[in-house]
This record gives sequence, C-alpha cells and structure tokens, in this order.
Amino acid sequence: MASINLRDVSVEFPIYQLGARSLKKMLISGGTRGNLARDAHDRVMVRALHDISFDIANGERLGLIGANGAGKTTLLKVLAGIYKPTQGRIHIAGHTTALINASVGLNQDATGRENIILRGLYMDIHPRQMRDRIEQVAEFTELGTYLDMPVRTYSSGMMVRLAFAVSTCIRPEILILDEWLAAGDAQFLAKAQRRMEEFVEHSSILVLASHSFELIEQWCRVAVYLKDGGIEAMGAVEDVVARYKEDVAGGD
Amino acid sequence: MSIDQTFSDAAAQGAARGIGTGAVLPVQASRLAEAVTDLAAGFTRRWIWSRLAYQDIKLRYRGSVLGPFWVTLTNLIMISAMGAIYAQLFHVDAETYVPYIMMGILVWQFISGTINEACATFTDAKDVIQQVPMPFSVQAYRVVYRNLIVFAHNVVIVPFGIILFKVPVDWHLVEVIPGLFLLSLNGLWISLLLGGISTRFRDIPPIISNVVQVLFFLTPVFWPLDAVQNLRKALALNPFFAWIDVVRAPLLGVAPEPTSWPILIGCVLVGGFCSFLFFVRFRERIAYWI
Repeated sequence: MASINLRDVSVEFPIYQLGARSLKKMLISGGTRGNLARDAHDRVMVRALHDISFDIANGERLGLIGANGAGKTTLLKVLAGIYKPTQGRIHIAGHTTALINASVGLNQDATGRENIILRGLYMDIHPRQMRDRIEQVAEFTELGTYLDMPVRTYSSGMMVRLAFAVSTCIRPEILILDEWLAAGDAQFLAKAQRRMEEFVEHSSILVLASHSFELIEQWCRVAVYLKDGGIEAMGAVEDVVARYKEDVAGGD
Repeated sequence: MSIDQTFSDAAAQGAARGIGTGAVLPVQASRLAEAVTDLAAGFTRRWIWSRLAYQDIKLRYRGSVLGPFWVTLTNLIMISAMGAIYAQLFHVDAETYVPYIMMGILVWQFISGTINEACATFTDAKDVIQQVPMPFSVQAYRVVYRNLIVFAHNVVIVPFGIILFKVPVDWHLVEVIPGLFLLSLNGLWISLLLGGISTRFRDIPPIISNVVQVLFFLTPVFWPLDAVQNLRKALALNPFFAWIDVVRAPLLGVAPEPTSWPILIGCVLVGGFCSFLFFVRFRERIAYWI
C-alpha cells in the first residue's frame, strides 16, 4: 500500500556563494517576498518550503499548482527522496519513480534503445529486466526507426515520449512528474493519460506539478496550491484551481 | 459492532481518498542507519555502478581508435624515456630500474587517478543526484571501479616488461590481489570523504590535484628508495610509498617493506572510520550542497 505523509516539512537551501554583506543588501532591497533568512552562522538561506503537511493515500492523484518559484519542483524532489527536509518529518511507503527532468539519464550520443536501458538503471531496474520490456516501451513511444538513432536527433517531444514510456513500464507505486510532460503533443497526452488511469487503478499514487490547469484537472483528483513555499490551499482539484485562478485574477 | 464490521470500517478508512493531515507517522530512521543502508544498497547495485563506470570510459574516448589504450601507449613512451635517462642519473642498472619505474608509475596512476577523481565523485553526478533518488555510495563505487578498469588497461604492458627485463616471478605475485583490494577500499573512503567535502568547498579539487602532483615527486615512484640511504627509514613511512609498495614489490618479485602492509591497513581503518563518520553526518546534505 503506497502512501505519502508529510508533517511540517521545511526545506532551506544554504547559499554559499553570497557573503553576509550581500545578504544585507538583499534583505533591504526586499522584493523576494521574505523567502530569504539568515541562519546562526550568518549564512544566506533560501526557504523553499515551509510547514508543509498532508497525507496522500493509495490510488490518489495529486496535482501541485502555484506560480514560478512557489516551491513545486522542490516539493517534488522532497517527495522523490532527493532532498531530505531540513525540518519536519516525511514518510513515503512504496517504490517511487520521479520524472523531474525528461532528459536525465539520457545519453545524447546513444541510441533510443540504449537509452531505454540506461534510464532503467537510474530507475533501479536491472538491464536484464529492462531488455524484456524494450519492445513494449518501443511500441508505446511510437518512435519506430528513430529508436535506433542517437537521442540528439530527437525533438523534445520525442524525448518526453521515451522518458515517459520507460518510467511507466514498471508501474512504480508512486510516480512523480514535473511539468515537462506538457511538451508532449495532444495525441501523446491522451495516450499517456490512458496509461496513467490504468496505473492509478492499480492503487498507486500520482503526483503531478504543472502550470496547465487543463492537465491538472484532467489527471488529478486533489490538489495543493503552493504560494511562497507554503500551502495556500488544498482539497478537491476544482476548488483549489478556482482559488488559484481567483488569486491570479485579483493580483497581489 | 462485529469484529468484521470494525475491520471493514478500518479498511474503508485506509482506502479513503482525498488529502488530509490525520495519519500518525512512524519513527524516522537515524542518520547512522540511513548511512549504513546507503553503503549496503549502493554496493549491491553493482550492475549500476559497473555499467556507469564502463560508460564513463566509453564517453571519455568516444571516436578515438585506441580508446583507453591511449593511456597505455603514453605510459609505454614515458616509461621508456624516463627509464633510459633516470637509470643513468641515479647510476642504477636499466634492467632493474625500468621494471621498477614501470610498476611504480602504473600503481601510482591508479592511486593518484582515484584521489583526483574522488573530488568529483558527487559533482560529476550532479544531474543524477538532483533528479533521481539513488544511494550516494553508488557514485563512490563507480569512481573506484572506473579507475580499476583504467588500471586493467594499463597493466597489459606488465607481462612484456617482466619477460623483457627477466623480472623474477614467484609466489610474491599473489600479494598483488590483497594489495589491490585494500587500495580499492582505500579509494572508496577517499571518494566518499573528498567527494563530499568537495561539493561543499569548491577549492578542494585544485588543492588536492596540487598536493597529488607534489606527492609524485616526494614519494619513491620513479626514484628508488635506496637512492637516499640516510633517509631511507623515514621515507618508507610515507603512506603513499606504502600504498604503492604493496602492489609494486610483488610485481617485481620481492617482498614489500615490513612497514608497508601495516601502514596501508592502518590507513584503510583510520581513513575509513573518519570517512564513515563524515558520511553519516553529512550524507543528506550532499544534495543541497551540490
């Protein structure tokens, strides 16, 4: 049974390249909406997330929305286990696959087929196991003969197809997707959604961050609206999206 | 309410969809437990790090005809040239000096290559570390394994050296195996420690590469220990000499200095312990520093 639980999770990035002096300048100049702070050692800290708490149970599809810099990708990385929260607690049950960047693990000079194996490595799938699935993946991508060409000849949409097909070929219990998925065309998105529905039916969790309300409303049942690193609203996807639209329309 | 009903209620609750904040979280694993898990999980993923290491080498020599054997060829030329000149300089017999410098340089390259690349253990894997959850130790195993592959390419000239210069081959040769094993363990703690520190302090890699360059001249790699009779005892205590000696001496058919094995084992234990403490404390910070 997959589940995600977060309690008062905060993530702060230390910025070492800036001296304490430049910190003063930045704090005075404002405009960064108070996400900067100073820690005990006088280091500049960027508070990317603060006091995030929520529980997601089996079979749920969660959408993350918010403006640029609201902390969506950081939260995805926390859920993926890449960043350990600097404060708070997190509990993730289930095998997680994160697709934060479509091109990660893709070797530009290797062919599509070679990259299927390589990307499998990063997803903790043994090459032997991956070889059995290569045809299934190839079929889903509809890339045909392109699969025998180096990946550098691919368009970004084609890379997305490849990455998505590999990532969903093992049906992880928790799938974490960043907004790059929108790079796919409408036909591919429809196909991806069918796979995703089938995938969520097998009691898994999907977390998707996107700027596209359409995509979020189509794919997700619940949503979290992030603002300046905190949760502004969460609940049923329609309500949260409506709230976000209101905020955007109303201005700051 | 029957027991069955209670169960089904609980099941219904468990399957309840939506987003809330009601669940009770289990106790978090300690840093120590997480570090040990990382090291063990990384080690068992041999199929990841061996393949990544192999791919690193393939990428480094993409499009070249000789590939990694370029280094082998470079070594051959350097060893021949240095062997001819330095044998005269140190007034030693070329027949004993050339094999000495050959084995010395090969082992030194393994050690110095590992140390230099150790600094980039995590920074080179930046993309992966920031995008995919994977045990950090995988990167350290990868660095050591990559250098072992390079070493394997370089040692192909050793049999020729042994035959050409009639180097005695005896049971000492077996010592090469535990020697390389300990050097690999040594490389592992160096990779974890230097790799970790280098992500936080970006001045470390150039400092290390300078230190390694100086050590090449200070350590009996290309000059024989006997060339400095009055300092011989002190020089044998140089840990870098000990590290080279445990592999070089057996390749030359002689016993290592009596101090060499204890020094190497000591380095592995002490260095390994310090590196482990560092890893336990700062492992989770690496993703932030990078």
